[in-house]
Amino acid sequence: MTQRRAALRAPDKLVFLLSLVPYLIEQQVVTVAEAAAHFGSTDEQIRDAVRLIAMSGLPGDTGTYQSNDLFDIDWDAFEEHDEIVIVHHVAIDEAPRLAAREAAALIAGLQYLAALPENADSSALASLTAKLRAGASATPSGLAIAEPVADSSLALIREAITGGRQLEFDYLNARGEAGRRRTDPLRMLSQDADWYLQAYCHTREDVRNFRVDRMSELEVLDFPVGDHADLDVPETLFQGSSSDLDVVVDVAAEALPLLADYLADSSTQEVDGRLRVTLRLAHVHGLKRLVSGLPGLVTVVAPADARQVVAEWAAAGLQGYDEASVR
Amino acid sequence: MGKIAPVTGAERRDVKIPVEDRLFSLVLALLATETGLLKAEILSTVRGYAEKYDPHGSNANLERQFERDKDEVRELGIPLETVESPDRPGDNQALRYRIPKGQYDLPDEVRFTPDELALLALAGEVWRGASLSEDSRRALTKIRGLGIEPREPVIGYAPRLRVREAAFEPLRTALDRRQRVRFAYLKPGETAPRERRVDPYAVVLHEGRWHLHGRDVDADGLRTFLLSRIVGKVDVVPGATFAPPAEGIQDRILAELDELRLSNVADLAVTAGSDAEVRLGKRAVLGDEDAGVIRLHYTDVAVFADELAAYGPEVRVLTPPDLRDAVRDRLRLVAETHAARDPRGAR
Repeated sequence: MTQRRAALRAPDKLVFLLSLVPYLIEQQVVTVAEAAAHFGSTDEQIRDAVRLIAMSGLPGDTGTYQSNDLFDIDWDAFEEHDEIVIVHHVAIDEAPRLAAREAAALIAGLQYLAALPENADSSALASLTAKLRAGASATPSGLAIAEPVADSSLALIREAITGGRQLEFDYLNARGEAGRRRTDPLRMLSQDADWYLQAYCHTREDVRNFRVDRMSELEVLDFPVGDHADLDVPETLFQGSSSDLDVVVDVAAEALPLLADYLADSSTQEVDGRLRVTLRLAHVHGLKRLVSGLPGLVTVVAPADARQVVAEWAAAGLQGYDEASVR
Repeated sequence: MGKIAPVTGAERRDVKIPVEDRLFSLVLALLATETGLLKAEILSTVRGYAEKYDPHGSNANLERQFERDKDEVRELGIPLETVESPDRPGDNQALRYRIPKGQYDLPDEVRFTPDELALLALAGEVWRGASLSEDSRRALTKIRGLGIEPREPVIGYAPRLRVREAAFEPLRTALDRRQRVRFAYLKPGETAPRERRVDPYAVVLHEGRWHLHGRDVDADGLRTFLLSRIVGKVDVVPGATFAPPAEGIQDRILAELDELRLSNVADLAVTAGSDAEVRLGKRAVLGDEDAGVIRLHYTDVAVFADELAAYGPEVRVLTPPDLRDAVRDRLRLVAETHAARDPRGAR
């Protein structure tokens, strides 16, 4: 497991301490490295916590923290062998309950994962949810996610990834170009309602992101995938490139978060009650769809040809209705 | 009276106890007591407070510190109780504090299999940013305290769900604390936002949109709002709390939205080989490939019209008329605002 080095805030540290104690009691003897692996923390975070626990306890009747009211560890084992043994504990021996909002966050996360092929057995998710509810100190707050529509392609992609086999499919890209693609599938990413396959594309000889809803006629091939350990697989879905297009738009303030993926920089300027920002997109085809899907909320200011493409796209759509009404 | 002895005070404050040390000591002390501890007892003996306690002063700062710590501990789901003295009801100085162990411990029946733990870890990965990822992380830390080793992590996935609506965080907190909120809401079809006062009952994600369900105080009825149409800040109405809504209300409202979705049917003509045909076609409940017509369900006319407008000429609404008009109006608006003239002059 990777060593996470993010600094924790005091409430997080408290939760860590309260969870580490019952774990250590249950394990009886455990090395610092094992405990760190279990909690996904660093060795040093474990050592700091153990030192703090070993000095902690109850004020006791006299209010003076006498040794019998304190935790105690086997200091020799700890300092010489990096082993943790709790020899005396006070007040706690069990893991704490979940806060209502903590349980709610995990339950909603599970609901989102219901779309995954391995979760087709919904009774397993239901029983897991029931356990989280039972483990919460109050009724989890009313947060819920509708079960996402499962795209049947996901199961085939999953099969190809886990089996290490190549995957072929018809793909229609955002520019409207269709073609058969042969890929070595690497992993599945999702962003909200949209699923993507990150794969090494044999045609392009590079890593590409494919929108699952633009794929059709999928076929898991009998060929194994190549070794891509040396490939730089990006963590994010959207990466800028030199061929990108910068577009200046005016956007209603409430719609700005919807453009977050496309902002070229963080600068905004107020113009006539709207915010003027610069978007960076791969091409103008993405722009016309983006702007038309936020009607009245986003207006392209420059460049003029980008503005014209949007105008023509909407006008062409509008024409369909005029012709139909004549017919 | 109320004077702090400056020398002793300064000396005492020299001892630096980290916040987590103080909170940990507080939780231990309150778990170990059956009858509860008086505030004065806590402040004068528990580590982190005792070092700063002045037996002759007012300890006002320390008391405020204790109030904040109490809230912090409760936010973590730790059941810190306040018990009134039966002899002196209403007397703040006679209040006792404790954490009943039976309500603190994760119940025995809550144990997870290694497979379940792997799935929970993935569920925690779903959230990016915001308090949801913080809450997930804390929940997973507590569950790891059970000492169960997870199965190998589920590989090959990076699921992400983002919350982009600024209204989400304040609404979720208000939901949790059962606080009434106030916000400006731009209802579809209205030109100006109107202020609403709402008791928030549930926040649900349906068809990719976050909805708030709650009681509209002024209309005195249950309403559902789209978070994306909340304009500006969500404020808490001070002092106004409400009784908890029926359990499972979030699932009921999702079922209602689904019912609504199934009752709305649209027939769309899609251009062969287009993005609209491929992507909308996947959601179609009926399709006539030769005629290029597909049938889809949708929840909200305005929301679906936005989505369809993005496809421009690739899709044309055949029925129903209100959806057809909505899409046409949107396309006209986009065409007009982007017409070839000085953008400053465009209205």
